[in-house]
Amino acid sequence: MKRLKKSLSLVLLFSLVSIAVVVGGEAAEKVPQAVQVTIRTILAGNKSDEFDPKLKDMEAQLKPLKYRSYRSLKDDGQSVPWQGTKSFDIPGGRTLTVVPQEFQNNRIALKVRLTQGDKPVLDTTVRITNKGNFILGGPPHEGGTLVLSISAAAQ
Amino acid sequence: MTRCEDTGKSIGRWLDGELNPAQSAAVCEHMSDCPACGEERRQLEKIETTLRSVLVAESARVELAPLWREVRQRIERKRAWYEGLLERSRELFTAPRAAWAVPVVIALLLGVFSLDSYWPGWRFGASRNSFAAVDSIDAHGRSVALLRENESKTTVIWLYEDQEVENEAAEEESKSSPAF
Amino acid sequence: MELTDWELVRKCQAGEMDAFQELVSRYHQKVYMVVLGLLRQREDAMEVTQETFFRAYRKIGSFQGGSTFYTWIYRIAVNIAIDAQRRQKRNPLDFRDSMDGVLEAQNEVAKDPFSDLRDKELREHLVKAINELTPEHKAVIVLRTIEGLSYRDIGEILGCSEGTVMSRLHYARKKLQDKLRTFL
Repeated sequence: MKRLKKSLSLVLLFSLVSIAVVVGGEAAEKVPQAVQVTIRTILAGNKSDEFDPKLKDMEAQLKPLKYRSYRSLKDDGQSVPWQGTKSFDIPGGRTLTVVPQEFQNNRIALKVRLTQGDKPVLDTTVRITNKGNFILGGPPHEGGTLVLSISAAAQ
Repeated sequence: MTRCEDTGKSIGRWLDGELNPAQSAAVCEHMSDCPACGEERRQLEKIETTLRSVLVAESARVELAPLWREVRQRIERKRAWYEGLLERSRELFTAPRAAWAVPVVIALLLGVFSLDSYWPGWRFGASRNSFAAVDSIDAHGRSVALLRENESKTTVIWLYEDQEVENEAAEEESKSSPAF
Repeated sequence: MELTDWELVRKCQAGEMDAFQELVSRYHQKVYMVVLGLLRQREDAMEVTQETFFRAYRKIGSFQGGSTFYTWIYRIAVNIAIDAQRRQKRNPLDFRDSMDGVLEAQNEVAKDPFSDLRDKELREHLVKAINELTPEHKAVIVLRTIEGLSYRDIGEILGCSEGTVMSRLHYARKKLQDKLRTFL
């Protein structure tokens, strides 16, 4: 009984420490202050067989699009407060506007609008995994097709 | 504390033979002079003798032969394969060990799932993406496709230009839509 | 010359079943008494007693004489009984029939019928009061009452300190006194 009590005391202490460590980590994630939104603008085409080395980390996501070439045009990352609005310049006179809406179950809800000049092209609300991304593609540009990788990470 | 209070606390130990000779003598002397403490002693002794008589009387009914026969049968009985395993696991996973194991497992699981808080970017497996959920989509009259690429768990929203633009694109020998 | 417990244990460890039978013979009533004091039903007490000796036989190889045989066997018995007690859901043992039988068998006829009745009432209420104690308090009072074991031995059996044994005994006795005052 004495041994059991001693064991249980140590176990309780260990559990409390573990819970503190975990809760501390969880707490840091639970209340994100802003969202780091990154837009990677890629030009996909069939005129060459080039694959930009800068896009190596996205190879698995881009290859299924079945274009022969992929070239990174620009990477743009900005910190956006919740419910705040940030616009990103997209080649071809386009603008991508992003509004982080909420953070729930490790997913970030983003309201995204693509405009051409002042004409809306697409409005969508997407929930992506924290630090994950989705692809928006199709707008033509310079003989190829624009592929936008939109990612978000809670800060 | 009065002498009675002191003695009252010690009567039990005196009955149990747990006092040293000097303490024992002091308690005895007081009990012989103090009716209340003497009565306390009498009551405790009565409880003890009554309980003993009840249990001794009961145990006298227990015969050795049938008990031994039963014990022997248990010893000689061929145990089912799982009984040995159960007994072994009972011995192995004693209360103190189980008391350790349960919170350790819980803490490990919680820790693994929380590692990302301390090492951002760390994830189980190579891919950290999972399908994005599209709550709403409005292409303002254009055609749009919502696609999911299974291997990389990527959600793709693909905008199709209107027909005029497609014709232009075909002339330029560029593809405006993915092959999938 | 009668063999000591330790000598019998050594013979058991060498595979001599007769030696184990002798140990059972020496301790079966004491073990039963302790177990009965902790449990409510006679049948359960018998079952636990059998299980105690069965487990003792299985574990005899691990007994190295660090404690006396009787504290070792009592420890096994108390652990099994406390486990059984926690699972138990039946009604308390009714000692009345058994006590009548015992009184007749022992030819205990008190001269004063009122005294006899008071004792009978005391026994009934004592059993009830004992059953209302927690398993830990019941264990100390039974081990102390039946065997007159020292606080040290009781502590060894129950895995607690002598101080804990002392305080539990004090508490258990006070509880019993309070409940049985009118019958004492």
